[in-house]
Amino acid sequence: MHTIYEWVAGPLTWIAFLIFFGGLLYRLVRLVTLVRRKEPFIFTYMSLKYGLRSILHWSLPFGTVNWRLHPVLTIVTFAFHICLLAAPIFLMAHAILFKEAWGVGWPSLPDAVADGMTVVVIAGAIFFLVRRIVRPEVRFVTSASDYVLLAIVAAPFVTGFIAYHQFFAYRWMLVAHMVSGQIMLVAIPFTRLAHMLFAPLTRAYMGSEFGGVRRAIDW
Amino acid sequence: MKSFVPVWLAIALALLSAAALKAQEDMRTVPNDAFVSPQRPPSVFVHDAHNEAAGIDECNQCHHVYRDGELVADESSEDQRCSDCHAEEAAGDGPPALMDAFHGNCKQCHLENGKGPVMCGECHQRQ
Ligand code: HEC
Ligand code: HEC
Ligand code: HEC
Ligand code: HEC
Ligand code: HEM
Repeated sequence: MHTIYEWVAGPLTWIAFLIFFGGLLYRLVRLVTLVRRKEPFIFTYMSLKYGLRSILHWSLPFGTVNWRLHPVLTIVTFAFHICLLAAPIFLMAHAILFKEAWGVGWPSLPDAVADGMTVVVIAGAIFFLVRRIVRPEVRFVTSASDYVLLAIVAAPFVTGFIAYHQFFAYRWMLVAHMVSGQIMLVAIPFTRLAHMLFAPLTRAYMGSEFGGVRRAIDW
Repeated sequence: MKSFVPVWLAIALALLSAAALKAQEDMRTVPNDAFVSPQRPPSVFVHDAHNEAAGIDECNQCHHVYRDGELVADESSEDQRCSDCHAEEAAGDGPPALMDAFHGNCKQCHLENGKGPVMCGECHQRQ
């Protein structure tokens, strides 16, 4: 168990993070070179002001017409994404392990709060799953890969939750947790999860075109 | 019957204070009362059995003494709590913070030996 733990918590984690950051950088560089080759005029009207303005509106719950049209989906989407990002980043266990490895730490949430946010993420994942199954207009555009992606995202939260509460098979659950976390990190740059990077860029582009060229708003 | 009450009270008090004075032989977990609001169950640690199984002879392997930043080889500090020197929040380049001191002491040795618990829940066991 010692050997497995040291491998999974050590080298495998650093490899996963290298692929995660390297992959995102690669996707970013490729996007910029592609735009530069195919549609370089986009750069002429990219605007920091209009870009940020659009990102801000879409980042506010009910800040856009589309958000207001679907209140339940909006609330779940916001709660899901906030907890999805904040829980693992500000989890004490993660901060402790990082500090042990690199000597630098950061403030973390009380365990009880992070645990609650974990429940929110799991509940959100179940909501999205059910929605894909019961809503015909969503089922129509759903493929098997959507379920796989949802599972990849939910797995670290489900296994982390079970390990934290020590419900059963603690040691194996923690190893499963770390491996599922690594799978998620590696998957982000190369799947639709890359919207983590592209969503703000697309928003900035739309905002710039609507604000600077069409003189209209896009929210 | 009434006159028995003080006797029972005295016995109860004696038992209570004996429990309060319980020495390291009876220690089954590392007390976490030095933390303002502990978040985890206290770590499993059967003091004497642990040190015997781990083959640790020197008390100052854990109960250490530093003078001018140097570890003093032949002195020990088992009459003090770790928290007497390690504050919950570390100040500058003084001794490490209390939690870091425990994790640095316990987990580090287990990693170096390839033996003993290293995962959070192996030490902080929920019953
Ligand atoms: C593996 C580390 C370790 C070693 C080795 C060790 N101790 Fe301890 N001991 C502890 C810890 C941790 C505590 C709890 C300290 C605290 O609460 O601040 C403790 C507490 C104690 C206490 C206080 C008990 C109480 O209930 O308040 C005494 C006395 C003590 N140790 C004596 C010894 C003696 C004597 C030796 C050597 C024969 C020794 N220890 C070796 C880790 C160790
Ligand atoms: C008498 C004061 C004192 C007591 C009591 C004390 N420490 Fe320390 N400890 C220090 C000082 C001072 C340092 C900083 C040493 C340096 O400058 O590197 C230190 C450093 C450490 C370190 C990091 C360096 C190392 O030796 O690995 C750990 C871990 C640690 N202490 C754990 C403990 C634990 C666990 C206990 C209780 C069993 C304890 N200390 C009790 C004073 C104390
Ligand atoms: C100097 C090295 C060393 C230090 C310091 C140390 N340990 Fe250990 N510990 C070991 C070794 C070696 C074993 C495995 C013993 C065996 O072979 O069963 C062990 C086993 C254990 C176990 C499992 C066996 C048992 O006794 O239940 C626990 C729990 C444990 N350690 C907790 C702690 C805690 C808590 C601390 C810090 C207060 C600590 N250890 C500090 C070396 C150390
Ligand atoms: C080798 C045993 C060991 C391991 C492994 C370990 N701890 Fe601890 N930890 C301790 C000891 C001993 C203390 C001192 C107080 C106590 O007994 O809880 C402590 C204290 C703490 C504290 C401060 C007191 C509290 O309850 O708020 C936190 C938080 C904590 N540990 C979290 C963790 C997390 C998260 C992990 C996994 C990343 C972890 N620990 C792994 C032994 C361990
Ligand atoms: C990649 C390496 C990773 C390592 C080494 C790791 C390690 C850990 C550890 C040690 C715990 C504490 C378990 C306990 O308390 O016993 C934990 C909990 C948790 N982890 Fe991770 N983790 C990793 C990746 C991730 C990722 C990528 C996510 C999510 C995106 C994640 C989300 C969580 C959550 C939500 C919990 C806490 C669950 C709760 O408190 O209810 N982890 N992790």
